[in-house]
Amino acid sequence: MAQKYDIKETEVWDGNYAASQALRQARVDVVAAYPITPSTPIVENYGNYVANGYVDGEFVMVESEHAAMSGCVGAAASGGRVATATSSQGFALMAEVLYQASGMRLPIVLTVVNRALASPLNVRGDHSDMYLGRDSGWIQIDAFNAEEAYDMTLCAFRIGEHLNVRLPVMVHQDGFITSHTAQNVHPLSDDDAYQFVGDYKGVDDMLDFSRPVTYGAQTEEDWHYEHKAKQHKALMDSRAVIDEIFEEYGKLTGRNYKRVESYMMEDAEVAIVALGTTVETCRVAAEELRAEGIKAGVVAPRCFRPFPFDNIREALKNVKAVACLDRSSPGGAMGALFNEVSAALYTTEARPLVTNFIYGLGGRDFSIKEAKRIFMEQKAHVDAGHITTPIQQFSGLRGPKLGFFETKRS
Amino acid sequence: MIEIRWHSRAGQGAVTGAKGLGDVVSTTGKEVQAFALYGSAKRGAAMRAYNRIDDKQIINHEKFMLPDYVLVIDPALAFTDNITENDKEATKYIITTHLDKESLIKEIPALQERADRVFVVDCMQISLDTIGRAVPNAPMLGAFVKISGMFELDYFLESMKRVLSKFPQKIIDANMDAITRAYNEVK
Amino acid sequence: MQERDLCAAENRGARELGAEKLVGWDEVQQGVVLNSFEGDATGIVLKKAEERLYSDFNSYTATVASWRVQKPVFNIDVCIDCQNCWVWCPDSSIISRDKQMLGIDYDHCKGCEVCVQVCPTNPKSLLMFAEHTELDAALSQWPEKTKKEEK
Repeated sequence: MAQKYDIKETEVWDGNYAASQALRQARVDVVAAYPITPSTPIVENYGNYVANGYVDGEFVMVESEHAAMSGCVGAAASGGRVATATSSQGFALMAEVLYQASGMRLPIVLTVVNRALASPLNVRGDHSDMYLGRDSGWIQIDAFNAEEAYDMTLCAFRIGEHLNVRLPVMVHQDGFITSHTAQNVHPLSDDDAYQFVGDYKGVDDMLDFSRPVTYGAQTEEDWHYEHKAKQHKALMDSRAVIDEIFEEYGKLTGRNYKRVESYMMEDAEVAIVALGTTVETCRVAAEELRAEGIKAGVVAPRCFRPFPFDNIREALKNVKAVACLDRSSPGGAMGALFNEVSAALYTTEARPLVTNFIYGLGGRDFSIKEAKRIFMEQKAHVDAGHITTPIQQFSGLRGPKLGFFETKRS
Repeated sequence: MIEIRWHSRAGQGAVTGAKGLGDVVSTTGKEVQAFALYGSAKRGAAMRAYNRIDDKQIINHEKFMLPDYVLVIDPALAFTDNITENDKEATKYIITTHLDKESLIKEIPALQERADRVFVVDCMQISLDTIGRAVPNAPMLGAFVKISGMFELDYFLESMKRVLSKFPQKIIDANMDAITRAYNEVK
Repeated sequence: MQERDLCAAENRGARELGAEKLVGWDEVQQGVVLNSFEGDATGIVLKKAEERLYSDFNSYTATVASWRVQKPVFNIDVCIDCQNCWVWCPDSSIISRDKQMLGIDYDHCKGCEVCVQVCPTNPKSLLMFAEHTELDAALSQWPEKTKKEEK
C-alpha cells in the first residue's frame, strides 16, 4: 500500500507539479513516457513517487514518444489506469498512436504541456500541438492555470473512464506560462481525491483470461465507417457526462467548471474567445475596460473537443463583435477557433462580426495592453457597423502589418 | 499587487528563490505567482525570474512587469543587464556586490538618479561563507525581508525551514545563517 | 601571449549571445536558414579563423564570456601539446595551430573546466582561476610537480 503524501490546504505548485500530483492521487497503474520539455517534470515526478513508495505503479521507460503512447495503449488494453505526458515534437511523434488509442476506446489520460512545433525549433508555449490533436478522437480539456491543471487531470480520469464514454482524454496547459509558473493551488487530500476518481472499472481487459479478446482488429469498407461513427457519437455524448462530473467536482471543491467558460458576458457588447492562460489575461483587460465603460467579456472553450458548438452559440448570442484568438500558425487558413466559433455563430439570428487574430506563437508575450487594443478594435467594428480591418490579423508581430481578407460588401 | 523581478544567471537559484518566496508569502494568506523567463538556457546564461503578490487570485499571465523590487543576485548583471527596465518612481533595488553602495552607484549611471532606492549586500560572499557554494538566492531573500518589511525575520526563518524540510539539517541551518546574515548586512 | 583576442578577427565575440538585432517578418531569412559566412566560402577550410568572414549570425561573432565564473588559464611551460583539451572542449575554445596549443578563446569559453580535467601533465597545463585573476598572478601560483606516492 502506497504511503500518503502530506498535502496542505494551500500549496504553491506549478502546473507540472500539480498535474503529477493528480496522477499520483488517481493511483495511475502505468506511466510509459519519453520526457520532453516543458512537460518533463510531470512524468519525472511520477517516477519519483513510484521510487519513493507514494504510488503503487509502474514507470516504463521507452525509446520514443511513439513507443510511449504504444506502451500506454498496451497497458490500457490490458486493464490498467494509464497516463503519460508530452509536448510539441513528442506529441507529433505520438500522433499515429493517438488515433489507435481513441479507436480502441482506451481511457488513457495524456497531460499535454502545449509547446510550439518546429521549425524553427522552440521550447516555448503555443497551441500548435493541441491543434494537431483536434481530429484524433480524444477529448481535449484545457486548463488556464496551475490549479486547473490539477483539477482537470483528476476530472479527466472520471470522464474518460465513464462507461458511457470510454475515450482517451488530453488535459492541456500552456508551456512555461502554466507549467513552470508556481501559484496558489488548493488540492484535495489523497483520500478525497481518490474517492472522487474511484476505482478503475475494466472493460474487455486483455488480461481477463476468462474472456480472451483482440483489440483494434482490421476492418475495411465493410466495418470501418460504423466504428468511426460510433466513436464520434461517444465523443458527442460525452458532453453530458463532462457536465455531470464538473458539477460533482464543484460540489467537492467549490470550483465550478463549465464546458464553455463565460466571464462578464451578461451584458457584453464585445468579446474575445481564447484558450489557455490568455483567457485569464483577457479577463484582466476586460475588467479594466469595464471601468472605462466598455462592455467587454471573455468566452473560453474549456472543452476543445468535443467542440461545444451549442454552448458557444449560447454564450455569444447577444454580442455585436467577437475576436477569436488562435495561438497556432494557421497554415494557409483562418485559425481553427475562428472557423469553429464562426460556424456556430452563423446559425444564430444575431450573426455578430467575427475577426481572427493569430498571436503568441513560440511563446511571444501576450499583454493586457494588447488584449485591450483588440477589444477596442471590436468596439470600432460595432460603432462602424461592419468589420473595419482585415478579417485575419497578426497580433504582436514585428514588421509591416500583416492581414488577410476583407468583408465582401457590394 | 507587488511585483518583483530577479536578475540572475541560470544555476544561481533565482527560480528556487522566487518559488521559496512565493511559498512563504502564501502562508500569510496572500496569492502568489512565481515564474521565470528561460527555455533552453544553459547554466551561466543571464535569465530573469518574477514574483507577483496580491490579495486576490492572480490571473494576469503576461510576462511584462513594472517591478516594485528588482533583486540582482549576480554581481556582473548589475553592469551588463538592463536592471532599470520598466521601473517605477518607487522601485527598490537590492544588488549583490562586493563594492560599497557609493562605489557601485558611481559605476552604474542608471542608478545615480535612483541612489536613495538602492541597497547592497554581498550575497556571493555570504553564501560562500555559510553554504559553502556560490548560491546567492537564500541571502537575497534575507535582504528582501529586511528591505520590504514584509515579514518579521523570525517568521520568515520558520517558514523557510518548512519549505526546505526535505533537505538535511546541515543545509537548512546553513540557509538560515545565510538569510540572517544578509538581513543584518544589507545596507 | 595568451591575449584575450588571441587569433581573433575583429568581429569575434562582437555581441552578447541573444543580443542580435530583431527584424520583422518581412526581413527574416526564409527557412530559418543562417549563413555561416559572408560571400563565397570556397576553400574556407584552408583559412584560419581570424581570416574568415564569419556572418553576423555565426556563433563566432557572439560571446558567452559573461557566463563564466571561473576561467581556465593555460601554462605553456608545462604543456606537451597532446591536443587532449582541443579534442574535449565542447565549445571549440582551445586554440591550436599545427598541433601546437596556443591558448584559449575567452569569447567562447564558458568555464566548464573539461580542459583542466582531461589535461594529463603533472602539474596540469590548464587550471581554473577566478575570472578577474591576471595571467601573471595565475602563473605565479602554479603548483609544483607532485611526486608519486610511495608504495
